[in-house]
Amino acid sequence: MSKPYTLQELLVIAVAKEIHDHENVILGVGLPTTAGAVAKALYAPHATLMMESGIIDFEPLLPLNHIADAHSCRGFSYATDLFSAFTMTYRGFVDVCFLGVGQVDKHGNLNTTAIGDYYKPTMRLPGSGGAADFISYAKRTVLTMLGGSFVNKLDYFTSPGYLDGGDSRDKSGLFPKGTGPTMLLSTKGLFRFDPVTKEMYLAQIHPRVTVEDVKKDVPWDLKIASDLSETPRPTDEEIDFIRCFAPAMSAGRELSMELTIVNMMKMLKA
Amino acid sequence: MVDVNSKVMSAKEAINKFVHDGEALVIGNYTVGSCAELVYEVIRQGRKGLTLYSQSGIFDVETIVGAGCVDRLVTTYCLRAGGRKGGSAVERGLNAGTLEIEDYTNFQYNARLMAGMHGFSYIQVLEGAMVTDLFHKRSFMGEDKFRVIKCPYTGKDHLTVPAANPDVCIVHVQRCDKFGNAQYWGALGSVAAAALASKRIVVSCEEIVEHDVIQSSPHLTLIPAYRVDAVVEVPWGANPTEVLGYYNMDQFMYGLFMMADGTADGLKAWMDEWVFGCENRAAYIDHYIQKFGSKVLDGIRAKAFYSAPANYGSAFTSRWDRDGKERNMGMTLPEFEQTLKERGKLYE
Repeated sequence: MSKPYTLQELLVIAVAKEIHDHENVILGVGLPTTAGAVAKALYAPHATLMMESGIIDFEPLLPLNHIADAHSCRGFSYATDLFSAFTMTYRGFVDVCFLGVGQVDKHGNLNTTAIGDYYKPTMRLPGSGGAADFISYAKRTVLTMLGGSFVNKLDYFTSPGYLDGGDSRDKSGLFPKGTGPTMLLSTKGLFRFDPVTKEMYLAQIHPRVTVEDVKKDVPWDLKIASDLSETPRPTDEEIDFIRCFAPAMSAGRELSMELTIVNMMKMLKA
Repeated sequence: MVDVNSKVMSAKEAINKFVHDGEALVIGNYTVGSCAELVYEVIRQGRKGLTLYSQSGIFDVETIVGAGCVDRLVTTYCLRAGGRKGGSAVERGLNAGTLEIEDYTNFQYNARLMAGMHGFSYIQVLEGAMVTDLFHKRSFMGEDKFRVIKCPYTGKDHLTVPAANPDVCIVHVQRCDKFGNAQYWGALGSVAAAALASKRIVVSCEEIVEHDVIQSSPHLTLIPAYRVDAVVEVPWGANPTEVLGYYNMDQFMYGLFMMADGTADGLKAWMDEWVFGCENRAAYIDHYIQKFGSKVLDGIRAKAFYSAPANYGSAFTSRWDRDGKERNMGMTLPEFEQTLKERGKLYE
């Protein structure tokens, strides 16, 4: 049995395992960059890590503040521009990319733009950024959902998953065949997509969570894998790596923010 | 005669001269090293009715929108302070009806500037987005947000966007010479496209360097002098964002900003202190150090990690060798001139 771990550490490892050696990887900010660093250090030493800002083939020494963060590494191998980062994706050179989720439907279509009316939003989310183009042309897309929600209908359709399910994505003629989201990770479980219907199902469940807990958040009749397993706990090596590389990631957003603000207040007084 | 120093000026002068009400303004930086001082100067001078192009909005878009300078925003990404419970100046503007927004993907936005930079009227973008609301939901661009055309070679439908040629680009770089050769390295993003697509360019830099420095490293020059209208030297010009080789992101100041930005009153109070309360960047840094000491800023100064020099040298730099003979013809200058005379080539 490995040593005690946090939920965030378990999530990082689940994402890191989606990166295979020798792959070209587009990393998003937050959990995916930590996962990328873990993968590069522990399982995928020949992976080429990339950011859409044109920082290509870097080895992160620190968690990234954003997708143009050359301060998080000590140089990198190829400096190109954003235009070329996307055209290389269009041409099929990106194996896997990672995207965050505001809303997701059962076929992995995403909203990261607005909750409520687009023109007068209840909540304005960041927007597409690179998401719509990456999920269109990367060979695989991994979705990380730390705060978002499952919905029957997106308030705004930002990024294409499997459209109406089945073969509708492939049939549209707009996307390379076989591309699309392959996994969604939430704080409760790990979901995959049925190879035929392209409907999302629960494949792994995190410790301390029941299937009912997962179903509570999903407005459609969620299918459960017949071989549903518990998400494996991280090894000591993985835990140590994450705590050293990105301690705030181990703590999670809320706790790390709280500790940071307390420290800032101390500085303000001093 | 042209004054070779005429481009070097203060931020105040540059914005006053080159950024006008009602114009299309592009922030040339993308997520990193944003031109904070130039943005704050636009705010201090109270520009109105701007159409703002921003590849990825951070504190820069929040402050300029929060100050009421912007009517229309073309963007791909907006900052939100304080998560679900928080808010943003962009969200408040949309709900108040004082701001219109046109959403693109990172690539589409950048492609519009690339088309503008190269003089094309439109450019092909990635067709997958045709199924999304980015394509279907349109704001002030209307029909011209996207158009679909038939590729004359393959017969396939191509998604296109129109070129963008903003009136003026404001952009921060690491270094620049007094002529305006602007050098930038790190995440190249859309810096060159944003600047070169624009009709006028205002560059701020961490330092003005000798022309020799530029000449020995032209691969770092993203914006050539002949396109640049103003050069503004502003150390710490991108704080609270970071400039590679100069300083890291200022998490402390960014934290203060993020805590304020969730509400209109909070943002106003922050801007009263840090934008309106400081007449220029030197005053801002003075105020910062007076209030919080110099520990934060000292702690984020970059340590050096120099690029290996690229050898731009060649075998010789004169047609005449060390014996004074022309390298191919093998004669000295007097011998050469004698020959020209003997062969009847010289006009008396």
